[in-house]
Amino acid sequence: MTAQPDASPPAPADVSLGIGKLVVPSLIGGLVALTLGVYGRLHHPTGVVVNIAGFTSAGYVKSWLATVATAFAIVQVSSALVMYGKIPRVNAPSWIGSLHKWSGRIAFLVAVPVAVNCLYGLGFQTYSTRVLLHSLFGCAFFGAFAIKMLILPKRGLPGWTLPLAGAVVFTVLIGVWFTSAFWFFSTFGLHR
Amino acid sequence: MKPNMPLVTLLTGAALGVGVLVASMLSPSSTASASGYGATPAASKSMAVKPAPASSASGGTSAAAPATTSATTSAPAPATTSAPAPATTSVTVPATAPATAPGTVPAATASVPKADVPSKADYVARTDSGGAAVAISVHAGKAVAYMCNGHAVAAWLKGTAKAGKLELTGKNGARLDVSYRTGKATGSIMADGTKYSFSAPLVHRGSSGHRPPGLYEATATVHGVKIKAGWVVLPGGSQVGSVEYFADADVTPTAQAPVLDLTTGTAQYDGVTLVASLISGFTGSGF
Repeated sequence: MTAQPDASPPAPADVSLGIGKLVVPSLIGGLVALTLGVYGRLHHPTGVVVNIAGFTSAGYVKSWLATVATAFAIVQVSSALVMYGKIPRVNAPSWIGSLHKWSGRIAFLVAVPVAVNCLYGLGFQTYSTRVLLHSLFGCAFFGAFAIKMLILPKRGLPGWTLPLAGAVVFTVLIGVWFTSAFWFFSTFGLHR
Repeated sequence: MKPNMPLVTLLTGAALGVGVLVASMLSPSSTASASGYGATPAASKSMAVKPAPASSASGGTSAAAPATTSATTSAPAPATTSAPAPATTSVTVPATAPATAPGTVPAATASVPKADVPSKADYVARTDSGGAAVAISVHAGKAVAYMCNGHAVAAWLKGTAKAGKLELTGKNGARLDVSYRTGKATGSIMADGTKYSFSAPLVHRGSSGHRPPGLYEATATVHGVKIKAGWVVLPGGSQVGSVEYFADADVTPTAQAPVLDLTTGTAQYDGVTLVASLISGFTGSGF
């Protein structure tokens, strides 16, 4: 995103107008998270999880996919820092925007099947702190991601909105990964 | 850049999600691959340990001892040459028996356990730490164990019993290493990444109307989900129980079990009556 030159004359009105543009995306994102959580809670989980040949179990498939998504999410944060000029002595190369967009798309698309398997197979569960946190983070992630995608094309937003949205999405995803794949690998061993 | 690529990304993800959901709904057979994970390590382990005929012979002949000339099952050891070769070798390696004493019946030596090691026994105890409880049942060369903490940790294990040693395995790396005697079973169990040690006394069967201490199991299908509950009932009537969801899958979310009514042997779970059955090495039920 090109940095907005601070040439907007009536600052207070502009900011309030800009923040107003966040309302609808935030409501939609909240609705996404809520829908996922309610579905996961109401739907009777089947325990059916699709396995992929070459992996020990579906748990490993999900853990590796989540790890791949998290790795791309780290690329996301790194490329964003470069784009915003936050890394000293590193000038943003011309391809950094494409890297940022495509790493984000891949991370999101890799995370989707994991989430479907979780919600369909296991549901929104609360039987331990880890599981409760994971359920909350997982639903929140897709809500936060939806918000970020919806505000991305909007112009005239305060400069902090996109970095904040990106940071929230990233933080929540790390929470998701830590309460699932990290736990899974450390409990059952790091292999396929 | 096209008008609204982020929205395209979102919609693509949504479409992918719906696609995977439909695929999951259409492939109920995929559970089979999931359940295979848990079964494999246990099966291969028991295969590795078991000289199948010997273990079944040791259990079978101790019960049918009169048929094999040694009328006194409890103390025939000196008579049947196994004095120099105690239970450790007599059970595991039948081949040594003919070598050391060609004149005797191999089956007889294999059948005689070391006097201290019961062939049928039940043990229950709380673990030394962690608020969990463990139950072990040994019957005729086979053993079943269960441990749970009344919350998120539960593990079923099985394997062979030989010469006072148990090395049982279960799903997701669960493992139990125990040495057992007439009085008690001592050792440790690894479940859910944590090691619990314990010393479990032999269960003495009460004669009251209540269900005796021991290991209880119940399975049911509740709202389409197969659940498996296990309770360790301790001497004095206290109990620790956990219930696992998707009992056949490789990952089994686990929660606190409903209270097992020790007069009826049932428990109420979400409107469904669970009928618990006793797994006892002493009586052989559940084996």
